[in-house]
Amino acid sequence: MSELGKIADSVDAYNTHVASEVVRARTDARFAAELRERWARIHETVDWTVSPTGTPLPRLALPQTDDPGAIAEYLFGQGLPGEFPYANAAYREMYLDRDSGTGEEPMRLFAGLGLAEDTNARFHYLSSHQKSLRLSTAFDGPTLYGLDSDHEGVLGKVGEGGVAIDTVEDMTRLFAGFDLTRKDASVSMTMNAPAPVILAMFIAAAKRRFGPDCVANLRGTIQADMLKEVQAQNEVIFPIDASLRFLCDMIEWCVPNMPRWYPVSISGYHIAEAGATPVQQAAFTLSNGFTYAGLLKARGADVNGFGPRLSFFLDCGLDVEYLVLGRVCRRIWAIGMKEVFGANAKAQILKLHTQTSGRSLIAAEFQNNLTRTAVELLLSYMNYTNSCHSNSADEPFTTPTEKYATLASHGQSIIMEESGVFKHMMNMFGGAPGLHLLEQQVEKAILDVFREMDTLGGVLAAQEQRYQRSKIQEAGHAYEKQIYAGSRPIIGLNKYKSDEPMPGVPLARTSPRKQRRQVERLRAFKKKHAKKSPAALQKLAQVARSSGNVFGELVHTVEVCSLGQITACLTGVVGKFRPMV
Amino acid sequence: MTASHACPLRILTAVPICDGHDSAVTTINIELARHGIEVIYLGYHQPASAIVRAAIQEDANAIGLSSYNGGHIVFFQEVVDQLKTKGGGDIPVFGGGGGTITKADERVMKRQGTDRIFPAGTPLGEIMAVIRREYDRIAKPNTRFRGDRALARAITLAESGPGYRRPLKKSAAPKRGQGGFVIGVAGPGGAGKSTLIDELTSRFLQKNPTGRIAILANDPSHPDTGGAILGDRVSAIYSQDNRVFFRSLATRGNLTGLSAVAPAAIDLLRKSGEFDLILVESVGVGQESDPFRTFGRGPKLVDATLFVLAPHYGGRIQLQKIALLNGADLVALNKCDHPMAHTAKAEIQARLDQNGRNQHLHATTAAKHFDPGVDVLFAAIARLGGLTNSPGGEKPCQLEVSA
Repeated sequence: MSELGKIADSVDAYNTHVASEVVRARTDARFAAELRERWARIHETVDWTVSPTGTPLPRLALPQTDDPGAIAEYLFGQGLPGEFPYANAAYREMYLDRDSGTGEEPMRLFAGLGLAEDTNARFHYLSSHQKSLRLSTAFDGPTLYGLDSDHEGVLGKVGEGGVAIDTVEDMTRLFAGFDLTRKDASVSMTMNAPAPVILAMFIAAAKRRFGPDCVANLRGTIQADMLKEVQAQNEVIFPIDASLRFLCDMIEWCVPNMPRWYPVSISGYHIAEAGATPVQQAAFTLSNGFTYAGLLKARGADVNGFGPRLSFFLDCGLDVEYLVLGRVCRRIWAIGMKEVFGANAKAQILKLHTQTSGRSLIAAEFQNNLTRTAVELLLSYMNYTNSCHSNSADEPFTTPTEKYATLASHGQSIIMEESGVFKHMMNMFGGAPGLHLLEQQVEKAILDVFREMDTLGGVLAAQEQRYQRSKIQEAGHAYEKQIYAGSRPIIGLNKYKSDEPMPGVPLARTSPRKQRRQVERLRAFKKKHAKKSPAALQKLAQVARSSGNVFGELVHTVEVCSLGQITACLTGVVGKFRPMV
Repeated sequence: MTASHACPLRILTAVPICDGHDSAVTTINIELARHGIEVIYLGYHQPASAIVRAAIQEDANAIGLSSYNGGHIVFFQEVVDQLKTKGGGDIPVFGGGGGTITKADERVMKRQGTDRIFPAGTPLGEIMAVIRREYDRIAKPNTRFRGDRALARAITLAESGPGYRRPLKKSAAPKRGQGGFVIGVAGPGGAGKSTLIDELTSRFLQKNPTGRIAILANDPSHPDTGGAILGDRVSAIYSQDNRVFFRSLATRGNLTGLSAVAPAAIDLLRKSGEFDLILVESVGVGQESDPFRTFGRGPKLVDATLFVLAPHYGGRIQLQKIALLNGADLVALNKCDHPMAHTAKAEIQARLDQNGRNQHLHATTAAKHFDPGVDVLFAAIARLGGLTNSPGGEKPCQLEVSA
């Protein structure tokens, strides 16, 4: 049995345990008294607040019951916010307005276009709409595939769909003017196959600006989820085993050296965007997470060391399962990590970033996308996501333009700051009967997928048989057919269509002049370091051939080598990824 | 839903370089095949040069590109321009990219030579109808075609039946009197034939710095629709090279494990005199057929056969039933990193020993890069076929330093 079978069994066993505790609470008077006493103590800790219109409210909503069975079911089955099994939330007070103003601001706005200085300007613009410093970076195609901007045939892609980063100098330009060591700063980078190189560049750029001791203060996330790349997003450079090794090297380096950094964001987003159903998204994402935990453990890493540095990223669309997807994932992760990996409390918590669904946005009557995103945001926050990105309504056509990026940002502010839904009371929804029923159905379906993959030999073996890819493609095909058949209503596309012509939308495109400028800069960098780069690459190759930590070497290599040079060097050592259909 | 004439439409589909969005193209591929079309899928993250090379070698009726992360104006133009300079200017290019390709972009792209853009929201049925109406042309001989294009068209004509008249003039002087050493590669589905062939291709390119290699990849057609998704190119990472001629063949109802055109195609490849090595991959076969007639009666199609199997063949008894094990010149047990491989190796060797033909069993793990087992297998092939196998192993760290 692979770990997945054990995890599925441990969740079932936990559910049985909860059920038996409920029975015990109703039959064992002493246990019932203990529970009632604990319940009373919990109530005592709840502060009260007053809404702006004068309604007094507790800051934590608890089920109104005195029945020991119901108390046991709530405390053990869902857990208080911030308590095992974390169905309700990762922390006790998530979005509540705090007088001190130290509350974590969940909004992250993904941006990336053109050259580093263009994205830098967008960062400065967006951060003027936020309390804390939140910089989330999208990269262009060549960077995502580890290619330099002067690689044959990529010029048209330079700066399109994200920012072009070739060297540490670009990285320095990207974050110019921001104090990355600020306590409330958080940088995230949507970067996978070349993630170790890009993070090494980020570290090198930060050291140049803030000195060698800044590294421990850097806070943020790099996606680096290679399993979902193989299963769905297709940005893979190196063979799978080498990709996983480079990732684990990076995680192991970051755990002691960058204690505030999340070196991997285990992502369902791209799995869902490629077609997966919500259940498949959750099942594949969680199982990928457990696989990373297993790989790191097998390398001898301490689960309580790396566990808290794993983070998650889910897509939130409009299907009903999204009402509970984050809740169910937190619960399965916590139980699996505790029971199968022996993780402590900190390492059991699934920390969640959510992005509204890009696939749900359509070109036809695209202003409707504002409403779609608003609903998805509401669902995301109902799941108590730790951070959130809202898509821009113009994304079916273009990298977000300033106007729609601002509307996307304001959408979050309207929900979180203007509306009172999440401001005053924690746990507004946990314990509602509809949610609970849905949670049970979704959890069961996820465990079924775990068991199916277990029979195939676990995540990596299933992946080799292209199980996940087939499932995702099948689901994506079914979704498209539902739209064409009209059984999945998409307003403005297959229902309530108007005949109005599509309004012109301004596009964010990168001019050929800028693309050439990037190439010139890159060439200048390569020329400047032409004497030092061969030796740096030789050294990197040597570490890659041995069993050394590749990331530890990359931190030095990026000082004199470009992304493309490093990719070519590592490909020479470990080979190329062989894509799957 | 089969096509109106003997030769189904062949469409090459791909996603441009630095773009991994393949869910739209996957849906299109499935629909095309469902409509009786042979889809040659090249995969995502494909440079213009690879798309053009594939379209020419496959003699595709049209190229369909699905682009979702920008840069489409430049990319489509590059494909169209390269087609013109490489002798494929008659191959139309169509594409789509949802809302990312605007009306204004479409106008520019059409002016630059793109044939058609399907805008966001075009119903699948409409896309299929347009493709069948606009691109279904019967292939005719074309004396202006040169090189790979001429060879590719000759295979198409052979495939469509009456047009096959040995149209290649260059066939006068095949190398070494043979026109290339031909190896038939057979084995059950899932044994890793395609991967092994690609790894052998990489050895060939490395060890033989000037020669060319040809690959004929046979895949089954759908029995009801007549369509096919020919996806071998997706994972053939080393075959993206001008020294490789790669042709995907759908079986079109032929049940021998090869397309009916395979013998003619082998003949054309030999007579072109272009290739040192020709690898012919059968569809997945086991006990029921011998695609190359290496065992039993009938003329031999190939110079040697390579039988590939994985450790999951189902036990000793099953091995007895595989007739190809009697006739195969080379046998490879692939996926040797599997725990069952140890037992499998002993069982297969025992089975080969019964033949008394001194057949050597090669243990390979093609999915592993730089697998030494594949090196040994290539050396054996080189010896059999009199190929160059110059020393010089893995390439050292590539030092790319531009001026």
